[in-house]
Amino acid sequence: MNRRQFLIGSGVVVSASAVRPMAARAQAPRGQIIAGLSERMLTLDPANHYSISATSVLRHIYDPLLDVTNDDKFVPALAESWRSVNNTTWKFTLRKGVTFHDGTPFNADSVVYTLKRVKDGKLIKSFVYQDIEEVTKDGDYAVTVTTKRPFGSLPAHLTMLGMLPPIAAGTEDAFFQKPVGTGPFRFVSWTHGDHIELAANPKYWKPGVPKVEKVTVRFITELSTRAAALRAGEIHVIDRVSPDMVQTLKGTPGVKVLDTPAVEAQRWHFQLARDNVKDPRVRKAISLAIDRNVIIKDLLLGYARPVVNPVPPGLIGHVNLGQKPYDPEKAKALLKQAGQSNLTIDFVLMKDLYPKQLEIAQAVAAMLGEVGVKVNIRNLEIATAREQRTAGNYDLFFSGWAHMPHDPDWYFGQWFTKAGAEKMTRFNDPKVEQLIAEGRVPDPKVRQQKYEEIERILWEDEPEIWPYYSVAIYAVSDKLRNFEARRDYYVLLSEVGIA
Amino acid sequence: MRAYLLRRLWQSALTLVGVSLFVFVILRVIPGDPAKMLLPEGAPESAVQELNRALGLKEPLWVQYGIFLRSVARGDFGQSFQYRAPALRVVVERAPATIELALCAMLLTVLFGVSIGILAAVRRGTGYDYAGTVLAVLGQSLPNFWLGIMLILLFGVSLRWLPTSGFQGWQYLILPSITLAAFPTALVARLTRSSLLEILGQEYIRTGRAKGLGERAVILRHALRNATIPLLTLLGLQIGTLLGGAVITESIFAWPGMGKLVVDAIFFRDFPVVQTVLILSATIFVAINLLVDLLYTVLDPRIRYG
Repeated sequence: MNRRQFLIGSGVVVSASAVRPMAARAQAPRGQIIAGLSERMLTLDPANHYSISATSVLRHIYDPLLDVTNDDKFVPALAESWRSVNNTTWKFTLRKGVTFHDGTPFNADSVVYTLKRVKDGKLIKSFVYQDIEEVTKDGDYAVTVTTKRPFGSLPAHLTMLGMLPPIAAGTEDAFFQKPVGTGPFRFVSWTHGDHIELAANPKYWKPGVPKVEKVTVRFITELSTRAAALRAGEIHVIDRVSPDMVQTLKGTPGVKVLDTPAVEAQRWHFQLARDNVKDPRVRKAISLAIDRNVIIKDLLLGYARPVVNPVPPGLIGHVNLGQKPYDPEKAKALLKQAGQSNLTIDFVLMKDLYPKQLEIAQAVAAMLGEVGVKVNIRNLEIATAREQRTAGNYDLFFSGWAHMPHDPDWYFGQWFTKAGAEKMTRFNDPKVEQLIAEGRVPDPKVRQQKYEEIERILWEDEPEIWPYYSVAIYAVSDKLRNFEARRDYYVLLSEVGIA
Repeated sequence: MRAYLLRRLWQSALTLVGVSLFVFVILRVIPGDPAKMLLPEGAPESAVQELNRALGLKEPLWVQYGIFLRSVARGDFGQSFQYRAPALRVVVERAPATIELALCAMLLTVLFGVSIGILAAVRRGTGYDYAGTVLAVLGQSLPNFWLGIMLILLFGVSLRWLPTSGFQGWQYLILPSITLAAFPTALVARLTRSSLLEILGQEYIRTGRAKGLGERAVILRHALRNATIPLLTLLGLQIGTLLGGAVITESIFAWPGMGKLVVDAIFFRDFPVVQTVLILSATIFVAINLLVDLLYTVLDPRIRYG
C-alpha cells in the first residue's frame, strides 16, 4: 500500500462540504424542548465525567472536533478534516470563523489547551488520552497530535470531548460554574439534581441550527416518573425506556416510541482463573445451555438483537460470525467430558443496572439447571459487585459494554490484554494481545482485519457470554420534528424542532 | 437551667464527634472503591489507583480522619468526589428543596393528623372514629412509592391538575408533600386520639365540664394542651427524619433534595457528601431534641431542669 492509498483508505480525510453551505436564510429558532434524562449530571466539565447523559447535555454547549453519526460515520465538527500522517501522528485542520459564546475565537490554541488539559490532568477522562505524546499548533487553524504508540481510535474518542476556550486555564472552577463553548446552545442555568437550561446560540457556525430557542433538560432517574411527565405533556422526550413500559407509552395519545439497535453488547464475563470455569469446555457448555431467543423474545419482549459477534454491527471490525447455538444435550456432554457433573457457579449482578437483569439471570439459572449446573445469583450493590470482581470472587459477571466512542479499541484493550484484565477477568492470551496492539494503527483496513481475527478467537474461546445486543428505546411527543433515536443513547436536540 | 443547657450542649458536641467518627469509619470499611465508581467500567487499574491517590484515599485511615476533623473545624467538609465541588456547597444547594418539602409535609401532618385525632377521640365509636382509624391504617400501611405513583397517575397524568415531578413552584410541592405526610399523619392521628381519650377520662376534665366550660374550650384549651407533650416528641422526631431527606418520595417526584443526594452519594461512595449530610442531619436531630426538651417546660410548668 502506498502513502496515497493509505491516506485515502484511512477514511478520515473528510471534506468540509459535509456541512451545508449557507443557502437560503435559515429559519429562526422557535419554541422550547424539554427533555427528561435518566441519569443525573454531575459536572459541566466535558473531560471530567463518563456519563452518557452528561455527554448528551454537554454536546449542546460544547462542540467536539468530530461528530459521529447514527450510522457510525465520523464527520467534521470543529475539525474540518483530519488525517493520519503516520501510525503515531494525526493532523487536524480546524474550522475557521467559529467563536465561543463569549465572542472569543475558536482556534488551535483551544485544541492544544483542551487536549493537554485532559492528557496531563487528573480528570476522569485522562486515562483515555494517556497515549498522546504531544499536541502542537501548526498555525492558527491546524493541530498535530503525536502519540506514544499507534492510536487509531483517537478520532472516535474525540467525538466525546468538547473543546474549551484557553481562557479557562487556571480558573476552571469558576469557568465551569458558567461555561462557554462553541456549541449550538449557550449555558443559562443549572439547578443541581433538577434541570439545566440552555438557550440557542444565534451565531452557531452550522446554518439553520439550532431549531429551537430554548432547551431544558430535566434529570428524572425514575422511569415511571419520566414516563408520567411525558404522558402528562410536561416534557417532550425521554430516554432509557424499558421494554415493559413500551405498550403503556404507545397507548398514550401524542406519544411515539422509537427504538434502534444500540452500540451496546451485553457481555457476561467469566473469571478465567477460577477452577469452575477455567476449562473452555465448561464455558462452551454454559453458552450452549442458554437459550438466547427466550431471553430476547419473552423477557425483553423483542427489544434486543441476537448476537453474531462480540462487537455490534456498524463498528469497525464487526463481521457476522453466526448466532451461538442453543443445544442443552451437547452442553451436558461437554460438562461430562470436562468432569464437571456437579458444577455450581456464582453469577454476580450489579443491582438494578440493566433492564430486567434479575429476571434474565433467574431464567439463565433455570436453563443451566436443566444441564446440571447450579447457579448462585448474587445481586449486589454496584460498588460491592465491582469490589468482588476485583477480588475475583465470581464465576460469571452480568455486564454490558456500550461502545461509546463507536469504536471497539477500548473494549479490546481493556478486557483482552493482560494489564487491562488483570483485576477483572484474568484474561491472558499473548496472541490476542499482539493482535490488539497491531489493530491500533489508524489504517481502517488493517484494523478491520486484526479485529476480525481477534473476534474469531474470542468467539471460539468464549471468555464471555454474549447474550444479546441492547436496543435503545426512546419515547417522544409527536410535536417533535426530526428527532433521531441514537444508537449511543444520546439525546441530541440541536437539529430537532417542535410544532 | 443554664448548667443544664451547658451540659446538654457539651453532650451534643460529643454526640456529633461520635457520629462523625462512626460515619467516617463505616464508609471506609464497607466494600466499594470510590475511584472505580467514578471511572467508567473497565478503566485500567493504574487509573483507579491514581484517582484514589488524588482523592486522598491512599493515606492511613487515622491520618484521613485527622485531616477531616481539622477541615470540618474550619467549616470545610472536603470536595465531593462526584461533583468535584465543595461537599458543603453541594449539600446546601439541596437544602431548600428538602426544607420546603419537610415543612410542607409537617404542616399537613399537624393539620390533618391532629384534626383527625381530635375528631376520632371526641366522637369515639361513631363513623368519624372508624373513618379516622381506616385512614390512619391506610396512611401507615400504604408504601410511599405506590402512593406517590398513584397520585402522579391520577392528578398528573389523568386529570392534569398538578405537575408530575420536579421542583419549580408551589404547585410542585403538593403531591410529594401528601405522599410524604401520609405516614406521619397517621401516626399523629393515632397518638392524638389515644392521648386525648386518656385525658378526657381524667378528673379535671369532668371538673371543667361541671363548672360549665364549653366542650370546645374543654377539648382545645385543657385536654389538647396536655395531649401535646407526647405529640411534640413524635413531631420532633418526624421533622428530624423529614429534614434528613425522604429518599423514596424524592426519587419518585424527581425532587432535588438531600435524601436522593445522600443515597446516590452512598451508592457512588462519595464519602465527603455522605459525611456532610449525615453530620448535618445529626446536628439537626440533636438541636431539635434539645429544643423539644426545652419546649416541655413551656407546655408543662411542672417540668423543670436543674
